Parts: sequence; structure tokens; C-alpha cells
Amino acid sequence: MAAPNRVAIVHGVLVLFAVALVVRAAKVQIIDGKQWSERAKRQQFFTSSAPAPRGDILDAGGKPLVESRELVKIAVALPEVRDTAFAIRALRSSRLDATPVRAAIARKRRWVELPGLHDPARISSLVKLNGIHFTPVLQRVYAPSGGVRRIVGGLDGKGIPLDGIELGLDTVLRGDSAPVTLARNRDGRALETPDGWSNPPRPGSTVTLTINSGLQDICERELSVAVDSLGATGGDIVVMNPHTGEILAMATNRAGRSAWANTAITEPFEPGSTLKPFVAAALLTRGRARPDEIIPTFNGKLELDGRTIVDMHKAPRLSLADVIRFSSNVGIVQFGQRLTPREKFDTFRDLGFGMASGVPLPAESPGTLREPASWSRQTPASILLGYEIAVTPLQLVAAYAAIANGGELLEPHLVKEIRSPEGEVLYRAQPRTVRRVMSREIALAMREMLLAVVREGTATKADLETFAVAGKSGTARRTSLNAGYTAGNYTASFVGLFPAEDPQYVVLVKLDSPSGSRYAGGDIAAPVTRIVLRAALAARDAALDREGLLAAGESAAAPASRQRSADTSIKSAERVSEPVPPSSYVVHLPPKPKPAPAVRPPRMIPDVAGLTLRGAVRALHARGFQVRVVTAATMSTSPAAGAIAAAGSVVHLGYPRE
Amino acid sequence: MRGRNVVGLILAGFLLVALAIVWRRTIGIAQSDALTALDARKVQLQGERVRLESEIRAASSRQRLGEVAENRLGMRIPSDNQVVFLPRSAQDGRP
Repeated sequence: MAAPNRVAIVHGVLVLFAVALVVRAAKVQIIDGKQWSERAKRQQFFTSSAPAPRGDILDAGGKPLVESRELVKIAVALPEVRDTAFAIRALRSSRLDATPVRAAIARKRRWVELPGLHDPARISSLVKLNGIHFTPVLQRVYAPSGGVRRIVGGLDGKGIPLDGIELGLDTVLRGDSAPVTLARNRDGRALETPDGWSNPPRPGSTVTLTINSGLQDICERELSVAVDSLGATGGDIVVMNPHTGEILAMATNRAGRSAWANTAITEPFEPGSTLKPFVAAALLTRGRARPDEIIPTFNGKLELDGRTIVDMHKAPRLSLADVIRFSSNVGIVQFGQRLTPREKFDTFRDLGFGMASGVPLPAESPGTLREPASWSRQTPASILLGYEIAVTPLQLVAAYAAIANGGELLEPHLVKEIRSPEGEVLYRAQPRTVRRVMSREIALAMREMLLAVVREGTATKADLETFAVAGKSGTARRTSLNAGYTAGNYTASFVGLFPAEDPQYVVLVKLDSPSGSRYAGGDIAAPVTRIVLRAALAARDAALDREGLLAAGESAAAPASRQRSADTSIKSAERVSEPVPPSSYVVHLPPKPKPAPAVRPPRMIPDVAGLTLRGAVRALHARGFQVRVVTAATMSTSPAAGAIAAAGSVVHLGYPRE
Repeated sequence: MRGRNVVGLILAGFLLVALAIVWRRTIGIAQSDALTALDARKVQLQGERVRLESEIRAASSRQRLGEVAENRLGMRIPSDNQVVFLPRSAQDGRP
């Protein structure tokens, strides 16, 4: 047998080596395959939790009030950094504070997180540096309005809701985060993989509020101006649509601890005279009084249960309608004695006082309405004057909305609609009647009384020239801590219905502790209401039905002034009372100061034939006339074109409606 | 064909397949990289849009403009009798 030559030996060794390789490969691939595959996966892939974007919050017109945007949190893994000095310079050039990194190097720490959240655009130059890690964090961007912020609330640094709609509707707004498998590239950075998502994260739903941004802006600005100019400690304005219960605006203004609280729902107050209309409505409902029924008011001074009740407007006798008109304390107490304590309690409870209204905002106060069993000797009279009862501004507005809409207490709501990320409507608010609190006839009678308050009562400063406003002012003494009621410390308020004929707004203006000599609701809160209404009328979108206003404006501004128009509009409905007979009492009111009329030369009315309606209005305005659009067969003016009229006088512009 | 040629062809085929796999993975990773970068850019731009829109809203708010309009330009809120509502035309919605 021949000895194997060297080539054969080499071949043999190579074959053995190849066999060993194949055997080893078979072991790795087949026997230990699973284990190695798992190990490789662990090295190349990792699982992370992808946050779900939180739902947006929009205003009634779809304008964003709160949106989410992605920022990043930066961390530095020091062992991975190749050149520490270069990394620190890079951090500095991105305007980041590198002090924590230096401190971590000194303490030989391996991982350091930089404080704060950062805009990805600003730190884009750091993306390719080794050892610098980014974690996406969703940040909420809020509308600049402070009032909106008080409504929608906020999140803490970890994304946990703190208050407002963010907390009240957290389950709807927060989405469902999802695990995602990411690959690592050679630098250890994450790469998305096609099969990384088992289920993608589901964004939160979009919540549309009933708030109208334009009106909210108006209320906040006017409230801020009023609080500053009157030296008040704060105030609230709430505007509601009385036919739907939608809260259109909710502005609050406070300094100090309450600055970020939505005090329109969290801070009840003693409403004072703004409660009197509800006492009158209760009397009418139970048939215990008529609007024209006259009682003695003792020239505005009454001794009752050891205390003296006084009126600002002294009169020997007043009808129930005039008790409301002049806000007579003596009169309402005299009338109110016809109601038992239980009836008084039931009246106020039925109006929603003493219980939360149900808006999805945390920390809503139910207010205070005590059971008659715990009343003191003076409570039956005090509660008629709006004391020993505390209501939130929202509760009071909702109660007045019942007068405005014909007697139904509606549940106030703040959320108009909720839509899923796919656009499906999950919830849409519908007007919800809690209960009927007065008949339609009594609501109309109350509106007439409230109209008289603004026209010639305690709140004439709320009156507009073109539209009729109804309302009631209130001035209540405020308590100070451990000092009871203190002199010169008042809550001034006014609740208005606009326009009086068919209210589209119920507006509450409340001012806390105004300093100075003017503190009555009719003096300071009523004018703020008028300014808000004027600004709303001039605004592009303030949730007003302009067609409805056009009709209301025409009826309110008909010849012979608004006195007659309002009478006809409200008296046209069925009423429970007889007309008020000529009264035998005299009430002395301070005469209104009349400004001296400006001297303006008369001028000729232009010919508007052939012009568009807009052009005709412009031509008349340009000549200095006020314009009232009325229906006519042809485009014409009254007085006719060519006639001479005083500048500033009203010209009726006839317009053929199609 | 001789056995050596067959082995050569098999090896060449194996090499080509291996190269194709490596090439595909390289392209895949590069595309994934580009996709991740684009995604980051999209997020960045969306964040920028939200920030800018928020700034526009702040700049055009009544709080900001009202003061300028009243104090610097002497404008004021019109009284209600200076506001005229024009009825909507039935034809084109414009008066």
C-alpha cells in the first residue's frame, strides 16, 4: 500500500475542516438556531412604547384651542461619547445648558438627562452625535387666552392632566399608546422596520367646545378693562345661549391664588338682588301675587325680626313689577312672606341652586342652599334678598336662561361634539331640559319686568339704542375672612337677556369688591354688559343669529321708539296679569344727565336708486346719516332723495326683499 | 461540462445571491434611515406649524390688537346703532 502523498493529506485536512464547518453550521443553524436567533434579535431590535397623540380641543367654530406637538427630551450616555469636549461644544452651540453633563463627568455618572423639553428643529445638529439620545415627548400648545386656559385646564410635566377639560375628559382625549419594535443601525440609533407595529398607537378623540373664541376674546378683554379701571379684585362674565344651554363664553379674572381657577364654576357668591325675579316668578306661579298688585313699602324702610331693611329707591307703595324694576328690598320681603320657607327652598332648588350643573369640569361647586330646617330666624327674609344662599355664575346664568327661553331650565353644556380620530361622531350635544321651572306666560311676564329694569329701572346703563335688553342688577355685600359683612365690600352683578324680544344671549357680568364710590351692579356691571353686547354686534362671528337680530332690530327701532315696540312684542303673547293701572305713588329717580346736542349742519339725502344695498348704506353713511334697512317695493329712502335732513338722523332705506 | 466548472458556477451563483441579499439589505437600511429622517422632519415641521399658528392667534387676538387699535389708532367699538345688518340676498347670498 502506497503511503498517502502530501496532496492527499492536505485534501483530507481540508475535507475534515469543511465537514467540521458544516457540522458546526448545522449545530448553530438547526440545534441552537432558536437561541442564536433570539440573541441576534435582542442585539438588533428593541421594543419601545410609541406615545399616542392627545386629542385636540377646538372652539365651536373649529378653531384650535389646544393642540399637541412633539418635542424631545435629551439624555447623554457618557460611555458612548467619543469626544466629550466636542459633545459639550455641540450642546452649547445648540443653546443647551451643558452644566449637567460636566457635573455628570465629574461624578463619573454614565447617564445624564438634560432638563426641559426641546424643539427638534433647534437641536437637529446633535442628531448624528454618538451618545446623545432623544426621547419624543408630546407637548400641549394652548390658545393664548387666559380664560380659555382656565376652561381647558392643563397637563403636568409628565403629561398627567391637572384640571379643566383636560382632566374632565381625559379618557376621551388621551389616546392608546402602542408597543413598537425598532431596529438599531450601526450607531445604535433606532430604525423603523416594516413589521415593527403590531397595532399603531391610536390618537385621542377631538373635543369641540361650545365656546366661541371671538366672544370669549371680547368678554376677557372687557372684563380685564373693567376690573382694572374699577379697582376690583376680580370678576366673571358668562354668556349662554338660552335655547340650547351652550356656554358661549366664560371669562374669569382674578389675582393671586385663584388666578388659574375657573371661578365661574368654582366660586359661589351671594347673588343679592339678581334673585328677586325668581321670587316674583314663584309668587306668580303659585297665584300669590299679580305683577300689578301694589303693597306698602313704607318709604323704603322696614323693621323685621330685629333688623332694618332699606331701599335705595324710597316709595310708599310699589307694585310687584316695580319692586323688580327698582329692586326694592322692602317690597320683595313683603311679597315674599306669602311663600313658606319650604316653597322658597323648592323654588331655588328647582332652579338648580345648591347642586352642580354637570358640566365636565372638575371642582365645580354646587353652591350653598340650606334646608329650611337649618334656617335661622332671619333666613326667610335674607334668602329673598339673595343672601344666605350662594350660587355660581354659571348656575345663575342657567336660571335666567329659563326666563329667556320660556320657562325651561336647560342643562348647561360646554362640549358640543366629540369625534374619533377617524372623524366618526362619538357624541353630539343636544339641548336637555332638566325641568320646567315656570310657565311660558310667567316667563314672558318676567321678561317684561326685566325689560322695565333696563329701560327705566336700576340698570338703564345696560340699554342699547337699537335693540332692547332685559335684565336685573344686583349689589350684594361681601364677607371678609373672620369679619363678616364689611362696609364698602360689594359684589356688583348684572344678568342681561339680549335681545329682549327673543334672547340669543344670557350675559352675566360680576365684579368683586370694586373700590371707589361706584359699586352698584346697575352702575358698573350693566355698562360692561352693554360694551360686551356692542362688541359682539360689531364682531364678525360672535354666535349671533343676525337674521334674527335684523327682525328684532327692526321691531325695536320702529317709529315712536322702542317703548312701543317692546310692549307690543312682549304683550302680544298671552299674559297672566292685567295691565298696570295708573299708579298713585311717585318714585323719585335722579334725572339722567343729557349731553348737549352737537351742532351738525343739515345735508341732502343722496339718491340710492340703482345702487346695491351695500352701496346704498355706504353712500348714506358717507353723508353722515344713520341707516335703518326696511322692506319696501323698490330701493328708496325715507325721507326721499334730495330732501334735507340733519346729520346723524336716521334714514330708512327701503329694500325689496326677494 | 466538467465537474470543476459546475462547482465554479455554483460558487458564482452563491456569490451573486449573497451579494443581492447584502445589496437589498443595504438599500433597505438606507431607505429606512431616510424614512426615519423624513418622519423626524415631518414631526419637526408639524411642531413648527403648531407653534407658528399659536403665535399668529396670539398676535391677532383682541387682547393684543384691541389696545393698539384704541390707543394708537384711536379706533373704538361702534355703538349698536352704527352697526347695520344687511339682509342676505336670495340669489347669491350677497346683498
